[in-house]
Amino acid sequence: MNFDKLISGFFIILAMTLNFGFFLGDIDKIELHSKYELFAAIVVNLIATILKIGDKSQVGSVLLATSLVADIQLIMAATIWTAVYYSVGVVDVHNTAMIVSLSGGALLANIVSVILYMGDTLKSKR
Amino acid sequence: MRNSSLWLLLQKMRMPFIVLVVTYTIAIVGLVSIDGITVDDKIVHMTIFDAFYFISYTATTIGFGEVPYAFSYQQRMWVSAIIYLTVIGWFYSIGSLVAILQDKLFISEIKKGAFRKKVKKLREPFFIILGYNNVTRKIIGKMLSQGYRVVVIEKSSERASELLIESYVPNVPVLEADIYDPKALELAGIKSKYCKGVVSLFENDNLNLKIALTVKILNPHIPLAVKSTTAHLTENLEDLGVEIIENPFEIISQQINMLLCAPSLYKLYKWLYRTGDLKTKTIQLPIGKYIICGYGRMGHEIKKVLEKNNIEAVYVEMDASKKNTFSKKEQGEILFKDADDKDALVRAGIEDAVAIIAGSKDDTVNLSLLSIARKVNPKIITIARENEIENKILFDYAKINHIFMPSSSLVYRTITALIDPIIDRFIISIADKDEVWAKNLLDMLKTKVGEHPVPYEFIVDEKHAYALMRMFKKDKKVPMNTLCKSRANRDEMNKIILLMLIRDEEVHILPDISQLDIRFGDQMLFAATRYAIDDLEYIAENIHELSYVLNELN
Repeated sequence: MNFDKLISGFFIILAMTLNFGFFLGDIDKIELHSKYELFAAIVVNLIATILKIGDKSQVGSVLLATSLVADIQLIMAATIWTAVYYSVGVVDVHNTAMIVSLSGGALLANIVSVILYMGDTLKSKR
Repeated sequence: MRNSSLWLLLQKMRMPFIVLVVTYTIAIVGLVSIDGITVDDKIVHMTIFDAFYFISYTATTIGFGEVPYAFSYQQRMWVSAIIYLTVIGWFYSIGSLVAILQDKLFISEIKKGAFRKKVKKLREPFFIILGYNNVTRKIIGKMLSQGYRVVVIEKSSERASELLIESYVPNVPVLEADIYDPKALELAGIKSKYCKGVVSLFENDNLNLKIALTVKILNPHIPLAVKSTTAHLTENLEDLGVEIIENPFEIISQQINMLLCAPSLYKLYKWLYRTGDLKTKTIQLPIGKYIICGYGRMGHEIKKVLEKNNIEAVYVEMDASKKNTFSKKEQGEILFKDADDKDALVRAGIEDAVAIIAGSKDDTVNLSLLSIARKVNPKIITIARENEIENKILFDYAKINHIFMPSSSLVYRTITALIDPIIDRFIISIADKDEVWAKNLLDMLKTKVGEHPVPYEFIVDEKHAYALMRMFKKDKKVPMNTLCKSRANRDEMNKIILLMLIRDEEVHILPDISQLDIRFGDQMLFAATRYAIDDLEYIAENIHELSYVLNELN
């Protein structure tokens, strides 16, 4: 068993599942989306990104790119939520849709990342 | 990715980044979940943003205070724990970053990146010089002054910094790396089309061979100048296809040969190497008994020359401990110094010798030997080998009749071979000429060109002779003396002599120009005044000048 692979695989997949958990639910209802889950998704995504940093291989670079995309999308969602909450006080349907769809985009990036990661793992002989 | 310094930085920052994210997360989760109390005793929870805000200024030790409400004691207990956690995490990250920026590997990667960029930007002919020392320093100076760029690879960082202090103009990029490392050579641009040659003049023969091998594998078409002090190595280098092989001791024995048989030729050489003019005074070495001190690689070369000229000579080896390294036959032929310099010289027969050559590799020994020799025999002609440039003043004051410097001879030979291949060809072609021939040529130069002729190389091609090429396309013949005419008056000839013509790989020394036509691909070597060279260049490149000199309309 490769401990490094275990750690990075764990975080990459956890990033996707948390992201999915937040995305799940009606796109226009903010009550169905937990802010704590978004927070957790951002943290795990950041850790996954850091784990991918410094890999000079071709696959490593693409993996890092997908992670960065997911990070940006999730952080944008959180920023919009915070900004709207503190300036307007209520998160309306329009903004809710924006936050959830941003996380949906991040989910796509995470799925691509997991597929690449699995492909790379299956390709290696060990 | 080409830029490995950035990757190195990121890879080493992984752990600090993770520590930072984890500590922040623990702190934020705690703050969000612990109850807080408002002024009117209501229970509130911090939002995620509040917690992030608080942690951001606490971890970085900025500390704005307790917001949005004064903390409850539960919160304060938690905060006192996480302050240590996050502040330590933050300092650890900053500390790691600073450590990496000072890391030797990281710095060398950054330097490598800068070097690669500089070499890539070179859009003019350049040479790669391996190693930075007294010899290559001179070569660099000469090459820069001739309008070539130079790239240096040096192993020791101390010497590399010395080069930086020298602050050459234009800039000389220097790479700190193993000299025979193929990657370093590639970085230095050995495969670039602007690279005009590689110079490797190390003391260590094996190192030179190793470099020659690497360079020839990486780029077989690049001219390579290598120093070799043994016949064995020279052979090996020739087999590898090395173009320029320089043996400093052979150069010097050749010089001694010239001073013995043809001092005018020596003068001519000095002029061609641009180290002297026609007025340079040279000595003619007398015929008689010679004493040669130091019987190493140089002594062997000198012996060959003296034997060829049937000159009687006594060889003295200064280091008696080397006695066993010589063959039995040689041990009988050479004298070994016992304790006293004077004693050894007297035993060698200094009283009736005409000249003494001090050729050991120690400058102090050479100087003291010659001063002793002078005391015993005031009429003796003294010849010294000077090893270190730093000792020049000492040698100047010692009033020695003739000084040989292996390192500087090496410099001039290498530069000429690399930068002026036509002059080099001429020098090789006239090596076996005698005193009469050389004297005649010198006289001819003085009468026809003047006291200060300049050697000038000219190649007939599109780049250097546009007007001539136009003529060739019209199938018109241009006589060779066209190039020697004056632009001011076509009936007058300039002060210029054609020393050599290379046509179809055949060398013609001092050809008769009245009989010849110019042809495409001709390589010529002229001796001329600056003024005549100007005229020649105009005539070759400008159609109007050419048609005036030829006295015909376009």
